[in-house]
Amino acid sequence: MKNKCDKMDLDEASKKEKTHPPEIFYEPDNSLKNGYFTMFAEITKEIKNSRWLTLQLFKRDLLATYKQSFIGIFWVLILPLVSVLTFIVLNHSGIFTVGQLDVPYPLFAVWGLTFWQTFSTGLLAASNSLVKAGAMVVKINFSKKALVIASACQALIPLAVLSILSFLLCLVYGFLPTMWIILIPILALPLLILLLGLGLILALLNGIIRDIGNILAMLITFLLFLTPILYPLPKGGVLARISQLNPLYYLINLPRDLILFGKSPHWTGFIWSSVAALLAFLLCLAAFHLTETRVAERI
Amino acid sequence: MLYGIQDISRNILGLGSRPGRLRPGEFWALDNASFNVLRGETLGIIGPNGSGKTTLLKILNGIFWPDKGQVRIQGKIGALIEVGAGFHPLLTGRENIYVNAAILGMTKKEVKSQFDAIVAFADIGDFLDAPVKHYSSGMYVRLGFAVAAHCRPDIFLVDEVLAVGDEGFQRKCFDKIGELKKNDCTTIIISHNMHTISSFSDHVLLLDKGQAEYFHSPQDGIRGYNHLFSQQSNTEIDKNCSGNDSIQFVHVETSAKKLNPGDSFTFRLSYEAQSSFPDVEIDTAISNGSDSRLYFQATNRAFGRRIDINQGTGILEITFKDIPLCQSWSKIILAIWSQKRTELLFWWRVPVEFRGQAHASGRNLLDIDYRQEK
Repeated sequence: MKNKCDKMDLDEASKKEKTHPPEIFYEPDNSLKNGYFTMFAEITKEIKNSRWLTLQLFKRDLLATYKQSFIGIFWVLILPLVSVLTFIVLNHSGIFTVGQLDVPYPLFAVWGLTFWQTFSTGLLAASNSLVKAGAMVVKINFSKKALVIASACQALIPLAVLSILSFLLCLVYGFLPTMWIILIPILALPLLILLLGLGLILALLNGIIRDIGNILAMLITFLLFLTPILYPLPKGGVLARISQLNPLYYLINLPRDLILFGKSPHWTGFIWSSVAALLAFLLCLAAFHLTETRVAERI
Repeated sequence: MLYGIQDISRNILGLGSRPGRLRPGEFWALDNASFNVLRGETLGIIGPNGSGKTTLLKILNGIFWPDKGQVRIQGKIGALIEVGAGFHPLLTGRENIYVNAAILGMTKKEVKSQFDAIVAFADIGDFLDAPVKHYSSGMYVRLGFAVAAHCRPDIFLVDEVLAVGDEGFQRKCFDKIGELKKNDCTTIIISHNMHTISSFSDHVLLLDKGQAEYFHSPQDGIRGYNHLFSQQSNTEIDKNCSGNDSIQFVHVETSAKKLNPGDSFTFRLSYEAQSSFPDVEIDTAISNGSDSRLYFQATNRAFGRRIDINQGTGILEITFKDIPLCQSWSKIILAIWSQKRTELLFWWRVPVEFRGQAHASGRNLLDIDYRQEK
């Protein structure tokens, strides 16, 4: 099998090459060749370059979700309201007691749900993002990280809407929240980083093992009841001990405590959880970068 | 699925994924495909279905990495593989242009500057502000192509997407590709249309079951492509029916199996008939090698000729005159039916090879007159 490329053609070509942008190079197991630092530099460059793409994808998902339903934004409110109402009813009828709280139970529940919904909406959206865009992934080379990040940003909607709802509810009960309410975006930041990290790795795995998407939906509901969000930390027992190791417990409880009471005993836990979230994010980002083309092979 | 997990784990841990080996159930979609394309050239990639053309394009596009060998690309790649990527049915055309352009790799500045050109090219009028789900398939494709065509890539990858769309659209596509060629854009086209390949390509890559052969001349490449199909076809005569209880075609002579373009082909049938068949229907057809469509088909009714087969012996001679086919394997088909197609009397399919003509890439060669006047 011959390639009839003249030597003269190649010389001319190399002259032209000098005015060209740097070259792209594909070979087996492409990403780890240059070492870990170069890899992170690549990742940063890619994310920086795809900012506009991320924005477009985010806008597209947003418009698509809310354009054709009357309920639209209100849909974001329904699940939390239903969960809170259920717990209030259970509490009232004595089936399920949450014990003494320094604040009306609905406020306690709804602020917890604000942060929980942020986490679960973002995680579910991110983990399904690659599968949903499967047709595109197989045919076009675009930044898959941008796709997952844009989907994870769907978490910002519940955060905004439910924060406002919770605030209004506070006023209804005559309970004034503290100034920490202004810092909600910053308080939610570690939570967002954690969900982004988990979302990346789950999106990847879901592309290859479709069950993961389904299992996750089930697991999230489970987790809501097993994590002390709709009820305070139990005095003792297995659940208490597990919860103290659960980063979600701190990441959700500290903001809630600060907003409602202005102080919280969970600072250490929160800081450790934030560090863990950051580490998880970096690891998952690296893993995603190394393996993203495998998804295109099998999605 | 298991292999997917294996590959991912090995990649994450920094181990090579042992790409050179085939695991059970795997096969080489592409093997030994090597070629160079210089700036400004157009490469046509041709091959039977399943030969690895789209896989090759995906590797060039960076969708997955090769498991053996390497790819070096200089320049920005634009692909016309999936028209309307990222289009959401609920968004308007205008909104979708931005999404599609972003996905194809254009920057915000580029889209802003090219927006009017894209809208003009797509030519969908007021529908631009209507949700895309209301578009006809033609409008959808036009909009998608409009965005992809204005990517201003250095290297343009085109898959058989040009088969979609009406004539006006196809002409627009080819005009645009021609314009890109003039601007020194490197193009790689996959097509089954040999005429497209021969008019646009500078060189040709022929793929068959993953193996590639590079041809400096498109004509040689196309000849190789046709040859692949000729090898696959049957060179035996299908003698499906040579008579029934009332008539036997005892001796059948046919012309040579290798013809030049413009030659005639004759069936000479000697028959013995126990009963007479008035006004028989003689069905004549020619099929082209690699297509299942018929190049020609007509019965004697079309020519206004009535043929009666009388009891006894006789000879029937049927000639296909001046057949303008070239460079292909064809089947010449003759079938004879009784008057109202109630009985089949004869049916043969004879494979015939028409020799090629230099600089002709199509299969049908008409005689064209060229005249100049002062």
